[in-house]
Amino acid sequence: MKGLHAASSIATPSPLSRYSPWAAGLFIAALLFNVLFAHGQEVGTAPFGFAQGGLGPSPIPVSPRITLHSVTWKADHPRAWDEAIQRFEQIHPHIRIKREIAPHSSTAYHALLTQKLRNRDASFDLFLMDVIWTAEFAAAEWALPLDDYFSPNEREKFLPATISSGMYRRHIYGAPSRIDGGMLYYRKDLLEKYGFSPPSTWHELARQAQAILEGERTTNPLLRGYSGQFKQYEGLVCDMLEFVGSHNGSFLTDDGRHSNLTAPESLQAVQFVREQIIQRLATPAALTYQEPESLAVFVQGNAVFHRNWPYAWGLANDPEYSKIVGKVDVTTLPRFAQGRSTSALGGWLYGISAYSQHPDEAWVFIEFMTSPEMQKHFAVRASLAPSRLALYADPEVLHANPQYKDLLPVFQAARPRPRTPLYPIVSHILQRYFSRVLAFPGTDIKEEAQEADLKINRFLALLRDL
Amino acid sequence: MAFPALTFVAVFSLYPAMDSFLLSLYSDFPGPERSFVGFGHYAELLQDPVAHQAFIVTLGFVLLSTTLELLMGTGIALVVHERFKGRGWVRAAVLIPWAIPTVVASQMWRFLLNDQYGAINAILFGDRVDAYVPWLADPWMAFGAIILADVWKTSSFAGLLVLAGLQVIPEETYDAARVDGATAWQRFRHITLPLLKPALLTALLFRTIDAFRVFDLVFVMTQGGPGDATQVIQFYGYKTLFTEGRVGYGTTISVTVFVAMAILSLFYVRTVGSKLLQRESA
Amino acid sequence: MTHRPVLLGGIFLAVLGSLCPFLWFILTSFKSQILVEAIPPTWWPDGSLVFYASALFEHRLLHYVRNSVIVAGSTTVIALVVATPAAYALARLRLPGKTWVLGGLLCVAMFPPIVIAGPVWQILERLGGLNTHWGLVLPYVSLTLPLAVWILTTFFHELPVELEEAARIDGCTTWQALYKIMLPLATPGLFTAAILTFIYAWNEFFFALLILTDPERQTLPVGIALFQGEFIMPWGEIAAASVIATLPLIILVLLFQRGIINGLSAGAVKG
Repeated sequence: MKGLHAASSIATPSPLSRYSPWAAGLFIAALLFNVLFAHGQEVGTAPFGFAQGGLGPSPIPVSPRITLHSVTWKADHPRAWDEAIQRFEQIHPHIRIKREIAPHSSTAYHALLTQKLRNRDASFDLFLMDVIWTAEFAAAEWALPLDDYFSPNEREKFLPATISSGMYRRHIYGAPSRIDGGMLYYRKDLLEKYGFSPPSTWHELARQAQAILEGERTTNPLLRGYSGQFKQYEGLVCDMLEFVGSHNGSFLTDDGRHSNLTAPESLQAVQFVREQIIQRLATPAALTYQEPESLAVFVQGNAVFHRNWPYAWGLANDPEYSKIVGKVDVTTLPRFAQGRSTSALGGWLYGISAYSQHPDEAWVFIEFMTSPEMQKHFAVRASLAPSRLALYADPEVLHANPQYKDLLPVFQAARPRPRTPLYPIVSHILQRYFSRVLAFPGTDIKEEAQEADLKINRFLALLRDL
Repeated sequence: MAFPALTFVAVFSLYPAMDSFLLSLYSDFPGPERSFVGFGHYAELLQDPVAHQAFIVTLGFVLLSTTLELLMGTGIALVVHERFKGRGWVRAAVLIPWAIPTVVASQMWRFLLNDQYGAINAILFGDRVDAYVPWLADPWMAFGAIILADVWKTSSFAGLLVLAGLQVIPEETYDAARVDGATAWQRFRHITLPLLKPALLTALLFRTIDAFRVFDLVFVMTQGGPGDATQVIQFYGYKTLFTEGRVGYGTTISVTVFVAMAILSLFYVRTVGSKLLQRESA
Repeated sequence: MTHRPVLLGGIFLAVLGSLCPFLWFILTSFKSQILVEAIPPTWWPDGSLVFYASALFEHRLLHYVRNSVIVAGSTTVIALVVATPAAYALARLRLPGKTWVLGGLLCVAMFPPIVIAGPVWQILERLGGLNTHWGLVLPYVSLTLPLAVWILTTFFHELPVELEEAARIDGCTTWQALYKIMLPLATPGLFTAAILTFIYAWNEFFFALLILTDPERQTLPVGIALFQGEFIMPWGEIAAASVIATLPLIILVLLFQRGIINGLSAGAVKG
């Protein structure tokens, strides 16, 4: 009975109606292919990967051409990068640079890169490395020590914080491509209107913000006091480091062997963030913000204060993107009464893979990319803060980024996140801890801190045997 | 004849899975040289509160999302099973969410749920911007949001399977009931539903398998936050394995997920699968 | 139909629920940057095509579409060629432990991708399959086989045995019976398996991200995900790209929804 029924249900549609969709589908598919292929040729952007290299007027190479594979992310200013690489290939015709693009979230990029390195992948030569990975990459012997290439004389020309972020146990593994540090953007028009000068302490910031919010309630009910990054991700660790650090607290003890989250300074700073920043000034919406969302609030004119990295300057003053062009200024982050202003150190280093077949050529490229002229190129074209000290007195750089002049002290004093080969683990524990106490207002901060302490200590103890 | 298929599966699924299982028996620290720890990581997992929480979140997600998807899917199927003008277009419309890549769909929901410029706030509150809700900031609402996104994305898949089940119920079955004066609800309850059982179970099986492995949605929308409220077990496994590089423990988490799923699915396979194969001998 | 209002309500809800969220993306794709993040959101776009231009030319979207068509197309063809005889054997031939094979296949479908990602990566590295399309197609075939075999097995199972027996009497081999008699009958089933496989390969992100880092080879989901720069969230470009990328699938679904449903109804879930 069942078999019969099934047969009839197949037989019901007429053969024509069953086959015509196939024919139509084939037609569409053929059309689609045509469009795609025709298009690829029209644009001429080398859909097959070799047109670009083959067509250029190539000077006769002295030695056989070498292709360096570089793992990088999609840059916000792709043209600035394209130009830099084109110039390099002109100067060094025997080296070609091929970029492999990984996603830009630091965490996803790290996952992909370490997957390759863990498998001793020899297919790429150099990579961009977040400053928090140096210890991990060095301890695992994934990154080549650059001591022989990167002379101590040369290193002195860079900001000390960037050099030390590339060091692990007295060897250097990364050449700094730029520096990042947290800084306080603010609406200078609003502060002037209410007669405030930029706040030097967090409590002052809170008071000013409250006064401005009350005054502007009728004109802009959306205005918030503060906009920062409090989503559960790596950026949360940076933002919290700045609060905890400016209250004389730290994540790890000075010797780096123990977690230090239950120290009273640290607990008080976290409590301030929970009660003053999240619940009053920033609103819990900040718990969903990474850099782009928090910047959107600010450039739409809906925040008095905004914490971000140097790149935000360019966007906040770009009329295509911002409603507050010319109304923005930037200064060092506030501190607590007894503490010192703390800016989280960020930035990216160039590293050479330990499995590279062409480390010498890779260094030639790194040397080029970190040279004064290229650092200037990126500072002017992409608002990326140079890692070379001398450029902070360069008129062209300062013309494009007048704010750098006052911010040099921020960069010089920028505070690194814990330096340990187990940083990714420590970071996850910190992210969970901070996100929990901020998102669940009923949690006991001390209890949560103790739990995080225990976990971090357990992992740090494993390291001591190494 | 099954040889090529089995070869594929053996090389690219079975062997990797076995390899992973072996990895889960070796230590992560210290150093790159790994030592054999037997089921040590599994013991560790039993005492890991973060993993327990992730398991609970995952179970909640699986239960709620599959239930809602089956309900919605059945509703969709009942609608598009009826004959009406333009049915083809309606069928195509309800299949669209399923055809959008998950990474894109999750970005879309993140955009829709934004606390400042999200469409959902605009629909609910219009110009009263100060009433806008930051949906993903609240632990419970964030959890609800990933379920909403999943239900939107995959209800039509369940709907498709249920529709197929509806189509094989012969019209005559209803005629007798109509003669007896049964209401539409009674007909649905006593005729359609029992006959739909196999279709519902198949849909439930494939949806449960998929929901247990949910990853993209969380990865894009919440990164597990706030406060680990949306951290599903696969995302925890990903973080441990790929970000922290704890290969042993990370694979342990995933292998455990697999075992839990296998046990759960045993029930389905026994009901759906065995029935399927038995009929051939009849 | 006795319950016209109920039905109309249902149609309305189903279509609204399915399309509305995506409609917002379509509207967004025609806006200019300053409108995208406007507060409160504006409904009507200003008709800007900037995002389409940017998605198509700066981000080279069609190039990703092309890669995805190649990968998803090859996956579908290979998966079907491999799955069909396997399903036929499972449905028809007297094999020892068939239940176990089908159950085992189901188990394989349950492996979390994360479990097998690492080892698959290593196999492909040894074979030289990283950053190639075939290197992605191989694991895709393996991952889609269980579902394809499951659907086809149930489908073959429903076909009347008598036809084949007649063919055998006429001297056909098993293979000939499969290709000459069964396959034409099973077209709707093949079609269902094909569209499921195709959509899987079209949508898959995790493996594609891991295996393809060469931008020349990356597929659509990875391509769109990589629109995101370091600090900029390009909603407009993502919206425009999604609209373009979804069009081929919408056309496919529109044309073939009949085929999918016939396919599924004839097999798959019969009690």
